[in-house]
Amino acid sequence: MAAITLTGVEKRFGETRALRETDLEIDDHEFLVLVGPSGSGKTTLLRLVAGLETLTGGEIYFGDTRVTDVDVGDRDIAMVFQNYGLYPHMSVYRNMAFGLRRRGLGKQVIDLKVRQTADLLHIGHLLDRKPRQLSGGQRQRVALGRAIVRDPAVFLLDEPLSNLDAHLRVQMRAEILKVHRAVTATALYVTHDQVEAMTMGDRIAVMNEGVIHQLGTPDELYDRPADSFVAGFIGTPPMGFLTCERIREAGTEQLRAAGARFRLPPETVTALPPGASRLVIGVRPEHLRLVPPAEAEAAGCALQGVVEVVEPLGSEQHVLVAMGGSAITAKLPRDQRLNRDDKVAFTVSPDHLHVFDPESGRALR
Amino acid sequence: MSLTVDKPVPEQPAGRAAAGTGRRRWRPSVGRSIVIVLVGLFGVWTLWPMYWMLSTALKSAKEATNLSPTVWPHTITGANFHELFGGTLPFSTYLVNSVLTSLIAAAVAVLISTLAGYSFSRGGYRLTSAASLVVLATQMLPLVVFIGPLYLLLLRAHLLNTYLGLIIGYTTFAIPFGAWMMKGFFDAIPREIEESARVDGYSRLGILFRVVVPLSVPGLVTTGVFVFMNSWNNLLYPLTLVSSNSRQTLPPGLLQSFSGTFKTDWGGMMAASLITSLPLVIAFFLVQRSMVRGLTAGALAGT
Repeated sequence: MAAITLTGVEKRFGETRALRETDLEIDDHEFLVLVGPSGSGKTTLLRLVAGLETLTGGEIYFGDTRVTDVDVGDRDIAMVFQNYGLYPHMSVYRNMAFGLRRRGLGKQVIDLKVRQTADLLHIGHLLDRKPRQLSGGQRQRVALGRAIVRDPAVFLLDEPLSNLDAHLRVQMRAEILKVHRAVTATALYVTHDQVEAMTMGDRIAVMNEGVIHQLGTPDELYDRPADSFVAGFIGTPPMGFLTCERIREAGTEQLRAAGARFRLPPETVTALPPGASRLVIGVRPEHLRLVPPAEAEAAGCALQGVVEVVEPLGSEQHVLVAMGGSAITAKLPRDQRLNRDDKVAFTVSPDHLHVFDPESGRALR
Repeated sequence: MSLTVDKPVPEQPAGRAAAGTGRRRWRPSVGRSIVIVLVGLFGVWTLWPMYWMLSTALKSAKEATNLSPTVWPHTITGANFHELFGGTLPFSTYLVNSVLTSLIAAAVAVLISTLAGYSFSRGGYRLTSAASLVVLATQMLPLVVFIGPLYLLLLRAHLLNTYLGLIIGYTTFAIPFGAWMMKGFFDAIPREIEESARVDGYSRLGILFRVVVPLSVPGLVTTGVFVFMNSWNNLLYPLTLVSSNSRQTLPPGLLQSFSGTFKTDWGGMMAASLITSLPLVIAFFLVQRSMVRGLTAGALAGT
């Protein structure tokens, strides 16, 4: 078991910088998720930790041991690949025993370990089959089994669920977590699916364009996103953004957008860039409260717009509303009947407003 | 590990979905009939020389040289085959020489082609693509171009008239082709499989022989059969590099034995040709499936 420390880790492919100087500490036994869109550098980071890529700069430590130049086979890691990477010509048993044989373990020890792990993953009855005779979910279990049977110090998973259907994905998410608890290895998990990240990670690192934008617990990322990228990436449906005018009136700072005015609390005002006349506000879909238009006009603090799309989801509905030059989504109870082109108004508590610098995207509150 | 996880929901094994569609009923049509006739004609065109070889081999010397040729032997005789193995002709020596040199050349070429093809496919060195192109370029020159330099090299190395010299000659044209063919196979193997083996602690060579080679058996077989066929059929190299009768292989041996200035023993030549063709025909039927796959492997690289 080992904590993982990355200091100044950098990776270039020719002229392309896949990963900019990155520092990251992953605690012993932690389940850390790297999440980001395609090309964000998350898989590169994982492969650097695995030793499948060589670093352009920086150092990697497992515990106190520097592993920067240690060969992949000597790092005591196990990895689950996106396409499973099973050996097609070997049975499930041999797939799982292959790594153990290399370590020179006795036949009986190998047999015991393989069968125990197979039972844990309910693939005991598949041990004689070849990978091509298995379904996607079964292959996934074999890949998982092959990784944990070695009892590694570091457990690396590269989008392991992306080839499974939605139902199986939910099932396997829970299983991977249970397996992680059973093996207690430090786990690094790469995904582009923020739902997977939120449900699985002890902590999550959100990446884009080779940079970690924010590292934190799921709640921290959701409640206090560091910038507009994290705010827009984490959460389904995503946070809506509106560009606002900044106005000073009667000694207070206010923001005006889509017919609404919001008074900014003093701590936010001090964080604002001095000359900025425009700011971006972000609103989570569940924080928008539908109000009757008459009430909205009287209140003077309601965001007004026109319904573009209504998506009924059974228990609730997602409503895409055009307002102030943007489109933002509201999550509403399904008894609030709405149709396309309806004029609607929403109130939102100032406590739930996120404010971002329009230039840098940095969160100002 | 005392913990168990939830039982999986049963799933359909991969590839089952397509099963279950009924066979189409065969219906005759004009187009189909034309196709069948054309295929039939092509078959006759292709197989006729082989039939003629078999038929002549079974005819007596008189019938084989008759001015009005017979389509099938009126009197079947095994005399031509008897003469091959029991007569004055060193046919058995030619056969053994051919088998020996072709088999060894195929084995050597497969081994070197595997290593070279793997390097071309996965090397990633700066010179890999340049080297692989140079190797490919050798295939663009006709075989006869090599014979002069090869003769001089083998002469200096005192390898003329030896099995080793002949095997070296065969492999000079076989390895470049084999390396490219193996590269096509290796390219089709997902890198993740090899990376799994790296994570499992295996070295490059360990991965090559434990994971990559077992997955490339069709490629190995194709390369092997291809080299064997080319060596077996090669007339030019043994004719040039070997002068002693005891080291001669079948193609030049037969040519020199049966075609005389004043008389040609057609029956004997056809019997010898038949026996010479048999190993190739058998080998081809055994491996035709993987051979077709082998020759087209890599055609869809990247898809």
